[in-house]
Amino acid sequence: MGRTLGRFENRFESLRLTAQMVPHLLDRTLLRIAWRNVWRNPRRTGIVVTAVAVGIGGAVLTMAINFGMVVQMVETAISTDLGHVQAHAVGYADDPGIDHRLPAGGAAVLAALEGREHVAAFAPRVRGQALVFSPRASSGVGLIGVDPEREASVTVLADSITAGSYLDDTKRRLLVGEALARRLHVDVGDKVVISVQDIHGDLTGEAFRVQGLFRTASRDFDAGHAFVRLEEAQSLFGISDDVSEVVIVADHRRRVDGLRDGLAATVGDAALIRSWDQSQPLLRYMVDLFDQVGWIVYAAVFVAMAFGIANVMLMAVHERIREIGIITAIGMHPDRLVALVCIESVFVTSLGLLTGLAIAFGSVAALGEGIDLSAWADGLEALGVGTRIVPTLRLDDLTVPVLAATITALVASLWPAMRAARLRPAEAVRHI
Amino acid sequence: MAILEARNVTKVYETRGVETPALRGVDLEVEAGEFSALAGPSGSGKTTLLNLFGALDEPTTGSVILEGQCLGELSAMELADLRLHKLGFVFQAYNLIPVLTARENVEFVMELQGVKPRERQERAEKLLAEVGLADLGAKRPLEMSGGQQQRVAVARAIASGPRIVLADEPTANLDSKTAGQLLDLMHTMNRERGVTFLFSTHDPMVIDKASRVVRLVDGRISADERR
Repeated sequence: MGRTLGRFENRFESLRLTAQMVPHLLDRTLLRIAWRNVWRNPRRTGIVVTAVAVGIGGAVLTMAINFGMVVQMVETAISTDLGHVQAHAVGYADDPGIDHRLPAGGAAVLAALEGREHVAAFAPRVRGQALVFSPRASSGVGLIGVDPEREASVTVLADSITAGSYLDDTKRRLLVGEALARRLHVDVGDKVVISVQDIHGDLTGEAFRVQGLFRTASRDFDAGHAFVRLEEAQSLFGISDDVSEVVIVADHRRRVDGLRDGLAATVGDAALIRSWDQSQPLLRYMVDLFDQVGWIVYAAVFVAMAFGIANVMLMAVHERIREIGIITAIGMHPDRLVALVCIESVFVTSLGLLTGLAIAFGSVAALGEGIDLSAWADGLEALGVGTRIVPTLRLDDLTVPVLAATITALVASLWPAMRAARLRPAEAVRHI
Repeated sequence: MAILEARNVTKVYETRGVETPALRGVDLEVEAGEFSALAGPSGSGKTTLLNLFGALDEPTTGSVILEGQCLGELSAMELADLRLHKLGFVFQAYNLIPVLTARENVEFVMELQGVKPRERQERAEKLLAEVGLADLGAKRPLEMSGGQQQRVAVARAIASGPRIVLADEPTANLDSKTAGQLLDLMHTMNRERGVTFLFSTHDPMVIDKASRVVRLVDGRISADERR
């Protein structure tokens, strides 16, 4: 009972000292002494600074590479297919197919987009399933009918042509992904037959000639899609001038949600307006997953750092028991003593933090051209990520380490600081 | 008038269940202006008694009273305040703060008291001049001799304007010449500034100089000689 009460009193005392020491963290005298204490054992300080720098530098760089991959994955999806915002017929989300269309070329949506603020470009599309037959093979594809000029302003399709040329006014021309071309054993200039089930349920088909091959950062997209002119797709599916969707690109990523909401309010029930993360929830999930992995990396680094700091500060306190006894004897309050140990810990950690951030930011600057990961091209392209990852830093990569390192330094040093504050001055001044 | 009193004070140290009595019922009054010495062989309890007077430790029974205030009734913070404002310490091993210069060591106690920078700097410089170290203010303890460090310790002890300076074997680590000079310095401060000194010592030179010698044997006062 007595021991339990003693522990409770100790904890209460620790909490009280912790609260009381806070105002002393900016005490100039303590700051001066703590800073000089940091350099009393340069080797030990150097080891801690190096450990913290490597931990934080590594974590921040990992986060930058992670985020670079996420950015590229999202940008690939947006720039090859999704755009920032998409307009579909109501019901398309549950049953994406040719049965759900925007009438009259999506006139209601196009009218709402004309002259609208923060809209960089938009393009109507027809999208349906088709079978493509070559003389040697066949493959199911997503057939996309596009207005070549408008499409070039919303996606990178026109810039992704690796053989032949982009769609023009020539009739019955087709663009296929390199991967699809390999599967069909066709090349530029070869003929294929596109067969679809039209709006009436009848099978219909037309012969097209391969105008060009494209290659994007997503292998799956390249293997599963073919592009024809908008009116030819409308004709194949028998949908008059209806379209499946209108793809919209905003002038900035920050404007996407506002643009989506504003457009949805304008068109009302005439169309279903969704942003890229709503139309591709898997992509949003991947982004969140990468974020969570990042937090786990940070947590692991800071937990390891906390043990290291606590250990070093315990050693520092143990080495200076007599000195602590002196300053207590001459009248320093225990809360100021706690603050002194904590400040010293924050100084050492901050040196490591600054070094680590310099390493990470320097590395990111040096890797501005990106990291060549072509050795893992298959895996990355399957994820929709290119083979050159550009590490990308966010504001969080500065604020999170700074806040977390400061808090870690303070928390980790509390235990040694409390030990210092509880030393009996009479014994401490005699300690050898 | 007594500024410091011990009333029937006992102190028992316990190490791994073994009790060792260090003081066995001490009654003592120290009056303002005294230059007193607690003398006795090692283990007689003189340092223990000095620690209790300095609020660095608590008696097992009995009470220690400083200017009418029983130290046992004060919290850790109040005791720290009391040490800061009413007591000065000089230790055997000098015990200066190694990362501070001589002047900063003297200033430190005034910083804790909240004295303004300019005032404490002036006071520190005056005190260092008084102890004969006017030119060594910028030196750190490790750059000074033992005698010089102990002079800085004396300057620090009186910098706060204490009611009494408690000096634990202050000459033990010094050669006899340096010890004599230090003793003269403290005696001068006692006479000219009226600072009360209480030593624990077995140095005959200190005992000779003291105006009162309290002898301890086995934790009890065996003699109290006023001169």
